[in-house]
Amino acid sequence: MIHFQRVTRKYGDRIAVNQLELSVSSGQLLAMLGHNGAGKSTSLKMLVGLLRPSEGVVQVGPYDVAKNPRESSRLIGYVPDQPYLYDKLSGREFLEFVAEMHGLTASETREALDREATRFELGDFLDRLTESYSHGMRQRTVFAAALIHQPEVLVVDEPMVGLDPHSIRLVKDLMREYVDVGRTVLMSTHMLSVAEEIADRVAVLKSGTLLFEGKVSELRLNAPDATLESLYLSLMDQ
Amino acid sequence: MPTPPANPNIPANLPVDSVCEHLPSEERERQIFWKLRWRTGCSQLRHFVTKARLRTSLVVGLSLLFWCGLFAMFYGGFDFIIKNVGPPGVAYHAQTVQFIFTLFFASLQVMLIFSSGIILYGGLYSSVEINFLLTLPVRDSRLVNYRFQEAVFFSSWGFFLLASPMMVAYGLVVSAPWYYFAQLPGLMLSFAYIPCALGAIACLLLISRLPKLRGIVVGTAALVIISLAYLSIWQTLSLSHDESVNATWFSETFRRFEFTRGEWLPSTWLSNGLLDAARPYNQDPNDLPWLESGKYLVVLVSNALLLHVIVLWLGNRLFRKSYCSLHSRQARESRTGSVWIDRIANGFLFPLPKQTRLLIIKDLRLFRRDPAQWSQFLIFFGLLLLYFANLDRFRQQRADLSAQTWVNIVSFLNLAVVGLILSTFTTRFIYPLISLEGKRFWILGRLPVERDTILWGKFLFAAGGSWLPCAGLVLTSDLVLNVSGMVVSVHQATCLMLCIGLSGMAVGLGAMMPNFQEQSPSKIAAGFGGTLNLVLSALYILAVVVLTALPCHFILLASSGGVASQMLKAGTLAAWLGVGLVSSLVLACLVTIVPLRSGLRAFRRLEV
Repeated sequence: MIHFQRVTRKYGDRIAVNQLELSVSSGQLLAMLGHNGAGKSTSLKMLVGLLRPSEGVVQVGPYDVAKNPRESSRLIGYVPDQPYLYDKLSGREFLEFVAEMHGLTASETREALDREATRFELGDFLDRLTESYSHGMRQRTVFAAALIHQPEVLVVDEPMVGLDPHSIRLVKDLMREYVDVGRTVLMSTHMLSVAEEIADRVAVLKSGTLLFEGKVSELRLNAPDATLESLYLSLMDQ
Repeated sequence: MPTPPANPNIPANLPVDSVCEHLPSEERERQIFWKLRWRTGCSQLRHFVTKARLRTSLVVGLSLLFWCGLFAMFYGGFDFIIKNVGPPGVAYHAQTVQFIFTLFFASLQVMLIFSSGIILYGGLYSSVEINFLLTLPVRDSRLVNYRFQEAVFFSSWGFFLLASPMMVAYGLVVSAPWYYFAQLPGLMLSFAYIPCALGAIACLLLISRLPKLRGIVVGTAALVIISLAYLSIWQTLSLSHDESVNATWFSETFRRFEFTRGEWLPSTWLSNGLLDAARPYNQDPNDLPWLESGKYLVVLVSNALLLHVIVLWLGNRLFRKSYCSLHSRQARESRTGSVWIDRIANGFLFPLPKQTRLLIIKDLRLFRRDPAQWSQFLIFFGLLLLYFANLDRFRQQRADLSAQTWVNIVSFLNLAVVGLILSTFTTRFIYPLISLEGKRFWILGRLPVERDTILWGKFLFAAGGSWLPCAGLVLTSDLVLNVSGMVVSVHQATCLMLCIGLSGMAVGLGAMMPNFQEQSPSKIAAGFGGTLNLVLSALYILAVVVLTALPCHFILLASSGGVASQMLKAGTLAAWLGVGLVSSLVLACLVTIVPLRSGLRAFRRLEV
């Protein structure tokens, strides 16, 4: 469903992502791991069309993201690390806007709004201006917006930052359920425990280069008793 | 750039149409965006009416006052032209009014190009909202249009505020027919749209072709235009002592500004349209004023529409590519140089306790490294300096008592202007200082520093930092106007009182009414406390300037042998000046001490 084909992204002379070759199939959750500046967010931004690759192609389904940004974004739901909400819109109005932009009809929008409001427990807040939301509420509203059109691909950048334990559980269950029905999730995270718990595969990046891509069990082949944390750190030390 | 071969695992036969058919049509997309704008607009309006009443009434009230003031000024000016030059239809009338109109509109035209281009840049390339919208299936041209509409609105409201009283006044003075007033909105809107669209086109092309040089290009263009305008104005005003405003001067000036009357300029189309619509019908069926002005309206509207299409076409072609390339630049490394400034500041501040000194230097560093602060400071004070440097025309008639009176009045007006500009800075930058410390209060709050020291540090930073440039400006104005030593001393004393009072008020009110929810200083300043600070500052400036200006004015008249000397004795006038200065001092102490004391009390109790 997602394909990075020899993708390189440069910022001036600095190479942020170097010849990235990565695919995520339908029904899979892939967690991108790496230190700060490893190229995780840049890769995700190229996937959602906010950046173009300097070289290579990023594809979502059949679409080259750089050539068909509109079509590819219809397939994607994106939760950024620093989400944006219109302060002067209520949660309901914001979700309606996103749903309508994805081409949902009025009845589909109502249905989708009820579904996501229930899923993310937004009921009491839905008609308040988003400027009054707490961080957790904002994050839940952004998740609801990303899922309102039931995208084939969910892209999440640091999903757990600032969430309370209840919301973290909610998000983890949601992402797992999402791939269990055949959809695709790509997330970047620093929380190795989360990756270990819910990801089907992990991709470890260091300075823009893919060091490892596969199942956690494959990473453990040489050290069966090691934790993901120690495996990750030893990879980084190489 | 080599494109890798298609991945064989990718399902390449998923029809594009299956996704596209669910996406909104252009018309639907337009409706959705208008709905978004309508909803955010209504919500914002509700906020203004319910939660920002003071600011809203102040802005509306002052705008109305400004509009009426401009209207009265233009009405008087056009009435003067009618009486002294001739009514509409007379050649000299048309020539004079056309000169005024074209110069006025051509200047605004240039400003509109720059402001819309800069606003569009901010909206399209460095906005978080656009980051969000780019992840939705929105057409690029829609995004550009959405932001362009905002750029047109925000850059042209000033044009409407300035131009509408002039146009209405002209229409009323010349008793223009109904179609003059009917055509006004169309003429103004279509005119404003053209430079705004040109600014947008320039912005899109510049970011697309020269993303790295955008700042240099815009800066150089602005500098060239300012220099040319400055040169033209300088040449127009630089009369020798025996010259005066006569027919030769007018002809020469008229010729010098010929470039503003170019046939291809929208400002000329607007001016001609207005003049044609306002002139009387002379019963000649081949010369219908409404038709002639209508032609100019059509030219303006058609050009505006054409440029609108070009903006959208360019937006569709260039926007996403230029957005990506702009955000692919290598982040500039911020260097923390200029340590010598800190050393000098530290040297100046040596009498203060070490902790206060450290706090002031911290605020100085933050100010220095935030271009939003020092650039605005530099622009406003630079413009004032430019204006003050051109005041020496008053020196040419020094023997004339009325000229001397004007010199005196202008010198005090300049002092008031410096104060007013300073009050906007204390409101915009000093008032939010305590609110902005909210998120960082875990640092300051846990340091072994008295909270009072923190607040005193802010006050000293504000007062000291503002006094030096303000005193310099006021001194420049006084030296150029060549006012007496007594006036210079009074001005410097008043300036010091203004700096201390305004700083005390801003720091004190800022500590009394902190807003820790907001991270943007401009939003903090735009709240109730900030608006209150601005209003009180304006009243304080007015009071201090009037208290010192009036006695100085009468002393001048008395010393020049004017009418006042017969009514007021020198001793009384000196006493009056003394009372004025003492009253100003008392007022300065009040506006410094009362808010600061309340601020200190509030700050000691502060819990974040």
